[in-house]
Amino acid sequence: MAVIEVRDIHKRYGDTVAVDGVCFDVEAGEIFGVLGRNGAGKTTTVEIIEGLRTPDSGLVRVLGLDPVRDHRALRTVLGVQLQEGALPDKATAGEMVRLYRSFYADGADPDRLLGELGLDDKRDTFVDELSGGQLQRLSIALALVGKPRVAVLDELTSGLDPRACRDTWELIEQVRAAGVTILLVTHFMDEAQRLCDRIAVFDRGRIAALDTPDGLVARTHGRGGASLDEAFLAMTGADDEGDGLDDVLGGAGLDEADRARGDADGQVWS
Amino acid sequence: MVRRDTAGLVIPLGLPLLLLVMNGSGDSPPVPGLDGMSQQLAYVLPMVIVLTIATVGVINMPSFLATYRRYKILRRLAVTPARPSMVLVAQAVVGLAQAFAGIVLVVVAAAVLFGLSAPADPLGLVVALALTTTAMFALGMLVAAVSPTPNAALAIGLVSFFVLMALGGGFGPRGNLPDGVAAVGAYLPFGAGLDTLMAAWTGGPLDVVQLGALAGVTVVAAAVSARLFRWE
Repeated sequence: MAVIEVRDIHKRYGDTVAVDGVCFDVEAGEIFGVLGRNGAGKTTTVEIIEGLRTPDSGLVRVLGLDPVRDHRALRTVLGVQLQEGALPDKATAGEMVRLYRSFYADGADPDRLLGELGLDDKRDTFVDELSGGQLQRLSIALALVGKPRVAVLDELTSGLDPRACRDTWELIEQVRAAGVTILLVTHFMDEAQRLCDRIAVFDRGRIAALDTPDGLVARTHGRGGASLDEAFLAMTGADDEGDGLDDVLGGAGLDEADRARGDADGQVWS
Repeated sequence: MVRRDTAGLVIPLGLPLLLLVMNGSGDSPPVPGLDGMSQQLAYVLPMVIVLTIATVGVINMPSFLATYRRYKILRRLAVTPARPSMVLVAQAVVGLAQAFAGIVLVVVAAAVLFGLSAPADPLGLVVALALTTTAMFALGMLVAAVSPTPNAALAIGLVSFFVLMALGGGFGPRGNLPDGVAAVGAYLPFGAGLDTLMAAWTGGPLDVVQLGALAGVTVVAAAVSARLFRWE
């Protein structure tokens, strides 16, 4: 049985369609990537899975639980790392992990968990004094302290330096090795390629493609050799919003005649 | 608490004490039947006690909760088995501790410096204190519920606080206000809290309608804020 089942979910905010018929399954023990540009519907989809939002239509099950109806049961088996920090400044790393541990009936030992995440000597450090990488590891610790069976990690390595990224990736592989199914939201190709068993590429509220990293590359370019970057760009289409920065910035301070000439030039080019 | 909200402690601990010392030392006739306690002290002490509860409840608490919302701290808690309502309870407990510290400070100061007598009606005092606290804290929850940002929470909290204080007799006796305004002020939490605390301390009868007004504000503000409160 799939650990996460998503069946044809739709979500709109006013006139904006955020999610438009998304379907996928995540199997037990998998690292499943959700890849896409900003505004592609990744975060809304993930928030529906977490039970933070209700879909307009469609069905979601996580370990057989309905995220809205069974939200209480879901909370005990789902570990979540949110995109934003969401931690108070003047609490120490140790206090945060012990506080979050207290929310769960069964969970990991806070000290051992901090040790495993390399935060041993940061136990008494305030949240606002941690580096970006340390903060990220703390938020992973908080996602894992309840011994979840499924973890959702949203933009895990945004803002981290390459070294911290690599350390975080190793950590995620260890978490998977411990039997946790992982849903990983990212917009970094190298991260998706390195970690994910399968990737769903989101574009404008839909899944443009769903395959293994190698499969995605082969799909666009026939065979290997190309990168996931190129495959991703080919699948999510060109940037068609706006007329380009030239048109916005050009023409400032020009008189009417110059502006007319500029328009004519624009037509020649397009 | 000190480390996390240093600025938030200055007003509830400092201002009431300052007002007490600056106002309590005047020459005024003693209250009949209470040895040594002056008319001035009999008014200023309950006033600064209500002021302490109001600053904590209406100004500090909502700005904290709005900050939690702004930084998505409540949203993060919403995806754990913890109930976000635990945060409200915890915040109220911290607020109670702050108010308690401020009140103990002014009462001790009044006893040591100005020969404060023991309250004439201790049970009435407990009832008046409890209802004033629940009314102010419920109003604070309402401010937190309707404020979109921490800045708005602070602004709405401060304005509400000063309106309540002005109408309730915090800037001088309500007798100086126009009759209609004074009458309204007597049943808003500041005025009702002030009158009932003063009555309990000096042995005058407690006005049941004022106690009822405090209870009413508690119930209505708590119910409305529970309906309007947004976790994110």
